[in-house]
Amino acid sequence: MIGQAIADGILTGAIIALGAIGISLSLQILRFANFGHGDILTLGAYSALTFTAVATAGVPIGPVSFGWQFLVAILIAAIVAGSAAILIDAIVYNRLRSRNAHRLTMIFASFGVALVLRNLVLLIWGPDVHYYSRELQIAVEILPNVRVMPDQIVVLGLTFAVVIFFYLVLRLTRIGMAMRAMAESPTLAGICGVEIRKMIRIAWFIAGALAAMAGTFLGLTVQLRPEMGFNLLLAVFAAAILGGSGSLFGAVIGGLLVGLAENLSVLVVPAGYKTAMPFLLLMLVLYIRPYGLFGTPERH
Amino acid sequence: MIGIVSYLVFFLTVVLIFGIACLGLNLQWGFTGVFNAGVVAFYAIGAYTHAIITAPPNPLLIANLGLPWPVGVLGAMAAAALAALIVGIATVRLRGDYLAIATFGIAVTVQLITLNWQSLTGGSLGFTSIPRPLAGYFDGQLSYNIFFLGLVAAATVLVYWALERVVRSPWGRVLRAIREDETAAVALGKDARLFRLQAFVLGSVIIGLAGALHASFIGFVSPFDFLPILTFQIWTMLIVGGSGNNRGALLGALIVWGLWSGSGVLVSKVLPPEFQTQGAAAQSILIGLLLVVMLVFKPRGLIGEEPVVSRHVG
Amino acid sequence: MRNLLGLTLGTALAAAIMAPSAVYAQDAECPVKVGGILPLTGSMGAVGERIAESAQLAFEHINEGGGIKGCPVEFLLRDDQGQPTVGVDAAKFLVEVERVSALTGTVSSGVSLPILTSVTAPSEVVQITCCSTAATFTALAESGESGGYFFRTLPTVKTQAYASAKVASDRGYKRIAVIYVNTDFGTGMVEYFKTATAKLGGEIVAEAAFNENQPSYRAEVNVGLAANPDAVFFVAFPQDGATMTREWISLGGPQNFILNNALRSPDYVEAVGGQYLNNAYGMDNASAGGPTVDAFRDAFQAKYDASADGPGIATQYDAAMVIGLAMNIAPDLSGPAIRDSVRMIQDPDGTVVGTGPEEFAKAVALIKDGKPIRYVGATGPVIFDANGDVNGAALIWNIKDGELGVENTLTIEDMNALFTEIDG
Repeated sequence: MIGQAIADGILTGAIIALGAIGISLSLQILRFANFGHGDILTLGAYSALTFTAVATAGVPIGPVSFGWQFLVAILIAAIVAGSAAILIDAIVYNRLRSRNAHRLTMIFASFGVALVLRNLVLLIWGPDVHYYSRELQIAVEILPNVRVMPDQIVVLGLTFAVVIFFYLVLRLTRIGMAMRAMAESPTLAGICGVEIRKMIRIAWFIAGALAAMAGTFLGLTVQLRPEMGFNLLLAVFAAAILGGSGSLFGAVIGGLLVGLAENLSVLVVPAGYKTAMPFLLLMLVLYIRPYGLFGTPERH
Repeated sequence: MIGIVSYLVFFLTVVLIFGIACLGLNLQWGFTGVFNAGVVAFYAIGAYTHAIITAPPNPLLIANLGLPWPVGVLGAMAAAALAALIVGIATVRLRGDYLAIATFGIAVTVQLITLNWQSLTGGSLGFTSIPRPLAGYFDGQLSYNIFFLGLVAAATVLVYWALERVVRSPWGRVLRAIREDETAAVALGKDARLFRLQAFVLGSVIIGLAGALHASFIGFVSPFDFLPILTFQIWTMLIVGGSGNNRGALLGALIVWGLWSGSGVLVSKVLPPEFQTQGAAAQSILIGLLLVVMLVFKPRGLIGEEPVVSRHVG
Repeated sequence: MRNLLGLTLGTALAAAIMAPSAVYAQDAECPVKVGGILPLTGSMGAVGERIAESAQLAFEHINEGGGIKGCPVEFLLRDDQGQPTVGVDAAKFLVEVERVSALTGTVSSGVSLPILTSVTAPSEVVQITCCSTAATFTALAESGESGGYFFRTLPTVKTQAYASAKVASDRGYKRIAVIYVNTDFGTGMVEYFKTATAKLGGEIVAEAAFNENQPSYRAEVNVGLAANPDAVFFVAFPQDGATMTREWISLGGPQNFILNNALRSPDYVEAVGGQYLNNAYGMDNASAGGPTVDAFRDAFQAKYDASADGPGIATQYDAAMVIGLAMNIAPDLSGPAIRDSVRMIQDPDGTVVGTGPEEFAKAVALIKDGKPIRYVGATGPVIFDANGDVNGAALIWNIKDGELGVENTLTIEDMNALFTEIDG
């Protein structure tokens, strides 16, 4: 029981972590809490659905429910969601920024964007539940009384691959360096010749692409529905802040902690309170460390 | 004709109840710059407290007190104050967007408590038979609703008048000073956290009052009344009307609730049956767009903040 | 202050115009308006869309069959977005501004209840719902607060729960896990299911309430699995139901399922995979079949190219037809007249009328001649008790090779015997 809960916690936590990296980026580089992030995740998941419906999810490889074509679908989802994020920035957030709007105004704009996106998905794909593949996977017992589905293992592996790749990009490339500089101080970075607007676009693209991956993974291991991203939002926020905004591995660990908290909580409190767990964990941490577990104090 | 009057009375009552909540939020955001993304939490606390205090005893629930209506309203405001104080002390020191997320989470948690603490709140069944004040003295539904509209209007005027005085007082000026430039305000010896906490609590009390009015007007509350979308609606009202202006807050409530309800009528009238679902989605898209367009093109809202100068100047 | 003055004046003016509402004793002015409130968006949107189609089909049939008192019906459908405030506003608008003569809706009890207490009951307008199961409605009817204006065409949770417990006990399941939706529907169902199971010799070994629209229900499923049950009773709507059933099967749970009536849906079966559901049973109201049930199912299939199995589809059709028939019987289209006429669609001596336009035309002709009718609808005979709840035969459905089928039926006598056995 407890073993299974831990395994499930890690598996859901990995998906939350992917979403949390994007939130963390927007907190750090774009400097606002993006409430529209969950719906970008949904948009990504549905883009992959359209691809698999038009093309195919491929012939299942081994015990996994999809073929290599699904990787193409994930890639397309990432590109669609990343581009959508850039487009939304150009239409909405960029205008607000150029007016020097308060960053809390940006948060509020993201509320509106979220509502629009969620209902666009509803309008285009309808309210019904979708699956990439109707085939049901039977979980394999990997440890005594701990069962996981093959797809989940692949998802976990892909998640860690993406995180490591992204870490290397941030550490080793010029873009990564520029982004870190921007996170420290946009003004200073600008003076040093960092193209702020280009960096903002890149940050949006990465956030959107990672959200899309989280969405497709969630769709693959559970199902697709128009509110899927919005319903994950609190968990994703909690993970991002738990880890300390701007810290990549912080976001990953935050995601895992949130996943574990949710799944372990049902052992002690009624399952009805599960959704509140990430948040309670967050409040607890913020009370002790107002800048998150791995963040550094920031001056206003 | 009577039908339209009767609907308008009902509609205006709802507008004013939202308007009061909007005034409370305006004190927090419009005047002080405190981002409360959990408006619905305090609204729900007000509504449920009122229900628990005034509803007649029910063997299935632990605390139905059956006390008079004014006690219910005051109790609702007190409960909202207490909740805001607890939340505020824990969160007011957080930076703005963390506060937004924290309050958003509190709203989710409060909603879960109303859903799961069955012996207190009735759980998912909701809370029925909440008495309506003086209902026995009226024989018609319309005449009663007109009376209730008068009652809510009186509450609105009272809150409006009090807030107008408050924001023009030295205390109100400190709030705006903190909003505009916290560092400067602190340098002048003002404890920014304390002021923000006070504004947060006072605003939440007003939101709690709106919740209590809602409960006694409809006569029924359930956890599904308090979904995050309500926070969104109240925020949209404030932004559209013009934050920082109390008249704007009320105007926003009128316009946004009018659009929300009017676009539903439009969808139902104009679209052929097979497109109704799509129409309903389009309706939500329009509301979202309205909000974004307002923020981008008319950030000060329809009536923006007026420069408020102390009576003592000039 | 000017605002206050204006308001007072306005109020006084309104009060002055206000005449006794009886002035509006309606003649059948064409078209006759009937209101509908259903969740078209929001978390119940997926369920509500099909239900709305069913309502529209019923009103088409009514219009083809001669309408109401010679007038066509105009069906005004509004979305409640799953939000009580929106639903109440829409209901108020329909009742006061559109002056609809009756209302059908909605799905969530949390929306139907405030509509009843603050709009339809005070305004004396009949409200018939397809889907709201809360026991509160029965309580409100008993205390007289609903004025008899509320009816529902689906069995109460008690009926559903008792029949479901019977299914479990008939299959010999002793240790049952329950995973249920945390709404009035789920909690009510589980309360009665527990009582019934205890009486019938079984035991609830684990229970988990879940909140709707979660990304995953693995945690809840684990609570159920940990108790090592013989079978699981799911109380959910198809979307969440499919998610948790898949997870239950994936995690190696026993494939013995008791399902609530909302899961009697091809969407659910398809989403889970028929091969896992050969040991799945549930209850539903309705006679097993018969021409009126089949006629409705065929008509729905033909019109929307979709199966009529699914939560609320058949009961919504009946809700609309009951309105249509009662309005024809009623001497005038006032609320009390329609309310009383709802009781007259089920005359034991009446001629049987079924579903579809021809049957409706037959009913209209009979009513014109002053003859009694007996409506047998999309869910079989619709018999309201004193509180506006339906009682009647129950049906035990199963899933074989991915197809929904009927295992057996429990007649009214069977059901009464079951009630006696459990309640003593």
